[in-house]
Amino acid sequence: MYKQGVGDFKYFVGISSLAQVATLEDRVCVLNILGGESSDVTPVGHVYSGGNVVFGTAPGKRGQVLETALGNVPVYNNVLEGINDGHRFNCGVIYLPPAAARDGVVELIRVNPELKKIFIVTEKLAVHDSREIRAMGQANGVDIFGGNSLGVADAWNQVRIGGALGGDHPEEALRRGSIAIFSNSGNFTTTIATYLRMAGWGTTSSISCGKDVYIHFAAPEFAFALSNDARSKAAVLYVEPGGYYELDAEFTKPVVACVVGRWKSKLTRSVGHAGAMAGGADDAASKERWFMEKFGVDGIFTPEHPVYSAKGALVTNIAHIPAALTAVMRENACRPDFAVEGNLALKPWFGASHGLSLPPALDLPVVEATAPYNAQIAALNRQIGAVLPRQSMKDASGASQMDARTQVTSLYGVSMLDAAQYPLEANVSLALLHEPGGENDRRLINVAIGAGLNLHGHPALAAAQATREAGNAPNSVLAAAASILGPRCQGQARQAARALIDGFAAAGVTDALDEDFDLSRIMIDQPDLFVSDAADTRAEAMLAGLTARGAKSVFVRYLLSLPGHPTEDAVLAAITTTLAWGPLMRKRVSRLTAESLPWWMRLFGALIGASVTADQHQPESFCRITTADILQQRPLSEVAFVALLGLAPQPADLFSFQMLMGLLLSNGPGTISAQGAKGAVAADGPEDPERVQLNKGLTGFLTHSGYAHGGNGYEGIAFLIEQFKDTGLVDPGDPHHGIDLKALASKYVEAYARYKSGKKSSGSLDIQKIPGVNHPVFKDMPVNHDPREVFIRKLLAGRQEYNVFHEFYGVLVQTLFEAGVSRNVYCVNIDAVIAALLLKMLWQPYRSGEYSGSALETAAFTVFLYPRMLGCAAEIDDHMNRGRNMDTRTPASQCRFVA
Amino acid sequence: MQITGMLYGARLLQFVGFPASEVLGPAASEDEIKALIDRHGQIFIKPVFKGGVGKKGKAGLLGRARDLKTALAEKERLYFVEHRVGHTVAKANGVSFEGGVPAGHEVYFSITDSTRFRAPTMTLTHHGGMDIEELDKTQIAQVPFDPLTGLKAFVVANALTALGAPRQIISPLVQHLPKLWELYHDYGMTTLELNPIRMREDKNGRMTPVACDFKCGFDRDDPRWRRLNLPASLFAVDYSDFEQEINQLRTYQGQSDVYVINAGGTILAPTFGGGANSLVTEMLGDDAIISSDFGGNPPYEKMKEVARICFKHWIKQSNVLFIIGGKSNNTDIFETFRAMADALREHFSRHGPTPLYVVIGRGGPNLVRGFGAIRDTLDALGLPYRFFGFDSDMSEVVLHAKQVDTWMKSGGREQVAARLGIAARQEA
Repeated sequence: MYKQGVGDFKYFVGISSLAQVATLEDRVCVLNILGGESSDVTPVGHVYSGGNVVFGTAPGKRGQVLETALGNVPVYNNVLEGINDGHRFNCGVIYLPPAAARDGVVELIRVNPELKKIFIVTEKLAVHDSREIRAMGQANGVDIFGGNSLGVADAWNQVRIGGALGGDHPEEALRRGSIAIFSNSGNFTTTIATYLRMAGWGTTSSISCGKDVYIHFAAPEFAFALSNDARSKAAVLYVEPGGYYELDAEFTKPVVACVVGRWKSKLTRSVGHAGAMAGGADDAASKERWFMEKFGVDGIFTPEHPVYSAKGALVTNIAHIPAALTAVMRENACRPDFAVEGNLALKPWFGASHGLSLPPALDLPVVEATAPYNAQIAALNRQIGAVLPRQSMKDASGASQMDARTQVTSLYGVSMLDAAQYPLEANVSLALLHEPGGENDRRLINVAIGAGLNLHGHPALAAAQATREAGNAPNSVLAAAASILGPRCQGQARQAARALIDGFAAAGVTDALDEDFDLSRIMIDQPDLFVSDAADTRAEAMLAGLTARGAKSVFVRYLLSLPGHPTEDAVLAAITTTLAWGPLMRKRVSRLTAESLPWWMRLFGALIGASVTADQHQPESFCRITTADILQQRPLSEVAFVALLGLAPQPADLFSFQMLMGLLLSNGPGTISAQGAKGAVAADGPEDPERVQLNKGLTGFLTHSGYAHGGNGYEGIAFLIEQFKDTGLVDPGDPHHGIDLKALASKYVEAYARYKSGKKSSGSLDIQKIPGVNHPVFKDMPVNHDPREVFIRKLLAGRQEYNVFHEFYGVLVQTLFEAGVSRNVYCVNIDAVIAALLLKMLWQPYRSGEYSGSALETAAFTVFLYPRMLGCAAEIDDHMNRGRNMDTRTPASQCRFVA
Repeated sequence: MQITGMLYGARLLQFVGFPASEVLGPAASEDEIKALIDRHGQIFIKPVFKGGVGKKGKAGLLGRARDLKTALAEKERLYFVEHRVGHTVAKANGVSFEGGVPAGHEVYFSITDSTRFRAPTMTLTHHGGMDIEELDKTQIAQVPFDPLTGLKAFVVANALTALGAPRQIISPLVQHLPKLWELYHDYGMTTLELNPIRMREDKNGRMTPVACDFKCGFDRDDPRWRRLNLPASLFAVDYSDFEQEINQLRTYQGQSDVYVINAGGTILAPTFGGGANSLVTEMLGDDAIISSDFGGNPPYEKMKEVARICFKHWIKQSNVLFIIGGKSNNTDIFETFRAMADALREHFSRHGPTPLYVVIGRGGPNLVRGFGAIRDTLDALGLPYRFFGFDSDMSEVVLHAKQVDTWMKSGGREQVAARLGIAARQEA
């Protein structure tokens, strides 16, 4: 049952000429106008068409509007409401989800007798619904485009309906001309229009018909409407396998048909276009044959073998369409609509060979893109550093990640086990620049942080000392110092870093270590940011340190080339900008991070400094090491070792210290310390990142450390001291210590077993655990291992370093099992390793009375704070770059009240 | 998504009360098989294939038995039989036992959506039991009908009369065949074929049509087929692990259609748009690992997940990551490229680098920002690349990708690997 339409079709067709497909008179109602796709696409089409959308629907959203440059489009709950409000339209556009599209068609047809055309953008319509849609359109005399159509556009009328043809800038693809396009692919409708334009052909009507099983406005109707359109001299068809639509199309004007998809005959189901699946004689080869018969040609047109007639040409590659069209039209005595606009030769807009020796045919040089893309690329190239999208960073991190299986945390892809093999100064780079620092980076960091260690005369030192004397734990002491180092302490250095980044990027510096870069190309017009009339002794000491270490920096070289005396802030900024330059240019870090580096260096120096009592800060020395020595000779890790332990560093101890620093860097964003740091950033509002107080971020980390988190390392040490106090152990590193570890372990296990059974028989389940033994994850094997412990054990064995405490732990877990205290062999966990490493260093001073128990406890806590300071700095920097304001808060609905 | 054979066919026909031959599954006991033979005199033993496998009879994959011994021998012969149609090889897993129906009259019936009539169309002939293609057109009735009213008795009656069908079969077919429309339309089918339907005569001479073979295809975009509660394993054969992982992300918005073309290919080509998919996959041929359409403006999270799955399965063997599409209309290039870049970087972080050359051809909204996002990542990873805008001939871009693949195969991969400080080929 169908309504009689135009032509002698056995079904209804309402459109007699392509000129009627998208006209200036058409008025449009969009269903689901506020949906994700429509709200992007509809305003563009509306504006391009001079305002053709009269209203849209979105259930329950009456009163809302869709904003467009031509004014707001009203939204109603349903179509009838819009009509009752006086709106009239003849075109319906369906942006509904597949399950609702058919109902949308029913709604449009039922309530609007003036309806003439429906455009269905919806993809993945069920065939069931399509067949009913077809029947409804036929019975009611409505032309339907789609489903899975990107609508239609008319370059003469400058009208676009029912989809996104031409994208955000329809005028870029659609230039008025003489060629009609009918395509199974929405994307290729635009792509073909673009290709035609380059060859001098413009368009009339462009139709994306979709490629579902049911194509409602299909090739025969298109051919009919093409015949009756005086504007269209020819047409281009893009055709995929499946369906007999094209077989029945009778063309009276020249046509270039692009038939693709021969390979699809190998498939057993469709990919992409649901209807592009041949059922038999409707495969690509058959379709090629149909068109060859229509055109009277015996082959496929290619540039090498141009086969065509006045009726048309068949191509199987869309890139051949322009040439085929030009050839066919030449046969018809027609010239292109306008001058050729370009060519389709390969033009890489971006390229990099990274030093590979490519064959010449592949080594295509980058060419300038066409306008406006060339300007966009130029602007992109001017952008310095990474720009990260903002999102909620609650319990999330772009810096650290813990592998739930191995419990090994990684920071920027570097596992803590690997980080344990880098010196502290390399891990400074890892935390903030996302890669462990190389040799030059370490030299720079040693000077930058070394310069900030000595707080003699600085209020931060007084604050720290007062806090210490008030009986606070080391975390509170450091927090007091951090609070003093607020934004003002780094303002000058930040400005200097900013100016250096601008100036050197503009000059095209790619390598911060470039010894030959011509500094006269640097144009920075604020020299007072870098130099002063008076000599700055601290700056000079830093410069001397850099020279003595042989550190390279084009930025420092620039400072030295300026008239006057470089300031301390400028030297610091030059160092940090050198560090940041590579990651910045590779877009690994943001500009914000690069500009924050001077502050971080100051903070790291000051916090390590503040962990030492005030009397160790003298005008010319820190912990009895001269400033010159610190800046020119010593690696940061060595100075930090001395600051922490007050001992003369030995190679083996330094290695253990380095391992501890690496292992303790991070334990993922879920740790309390990281949560404190991230909360501090969220509270400042990272969306306004200049206001984020980095020192307060570190205070957040420090206030979120304590005796249970960070300070608990002492438990293991206390346990070991208790076991070994009467053994007469002299050197824990001597494998010939003469102690019967098995007997020692048995003694403890016996006592522990008694304690445990005593507790059990008294009905208490509150049994004290043995520090350093067992782990909630590594616990179900007959013999369990903490992979981190295994890694360290092997590493130390490889260095032939012995540790009696570590060895004792191994014997202990075995003895616990043998005595039936544990059901399997517990693992020795990472806390045991940390305790064993630290106690090994401190055993002798402790035994000799140089080191008190409380000093041991302070050291055990502080050894956590140094590396975790870096790990939390990484979290703070990451959160500042990615997070949203207040994103760590928990909604009230998820909070519990406990009575 | 197809079903062939009576094992499931009979169950589906029950939904609409269409008579079917009596069927036992692979687990039938000897007593049950014996009883089936006793009831019907003759039984057919057919191998059970997953999915759509046709032309079994011609291939000799049809056993007949009038006694238990023969039935069991045929069971043994056909249980794990292999069947080759063209390039496709299917392996049976089980047999069905079907009660024989006398073949006095054999009718062919099908419903499908015809693109010539643009309507559901019934194909009917009383010369059934053979391939429909082998019959003369005058012996077949092809009748479109209105889906809003459905397949009506008069449509069947008119068709059979026009064909000159024997009078005694017209009434029972008119009575029963329209029921099949409900099965077809209400359960998301795109094809339904019964061939043959045999006419069983009762003692009064009244005939009943009995479906003796069954074939149907389902529309995977139509959730109605789920009403049938068919076991998921029935269709599992159609999908590789990779495809199944991707399919879990398949929604109406943001397509993610994939098909593994050559699991040993060397070009991984995430393709955007059905048109680009046709062009690209055709030109890449067997070098392509997958055929895909990720167009339709997928959001960042989904695109990243799709890319993650693609990389997880295929990046190690790939020489070229080839991201290709035309000039998109509404797919946000920045979002899709940023997602793929992030997925690639995370893959490298997690699994280590692999030698790869990246070629991209694309156009659309936010193109330059998208190119920028992926360029920065590739620079950071140290991978070589060339990106082409929409003003480069797409087919030339495809050829360029192929040439790069050829170069990678002949020493380029080793060069890239050396640049990355890794071995050119690593154990999977």
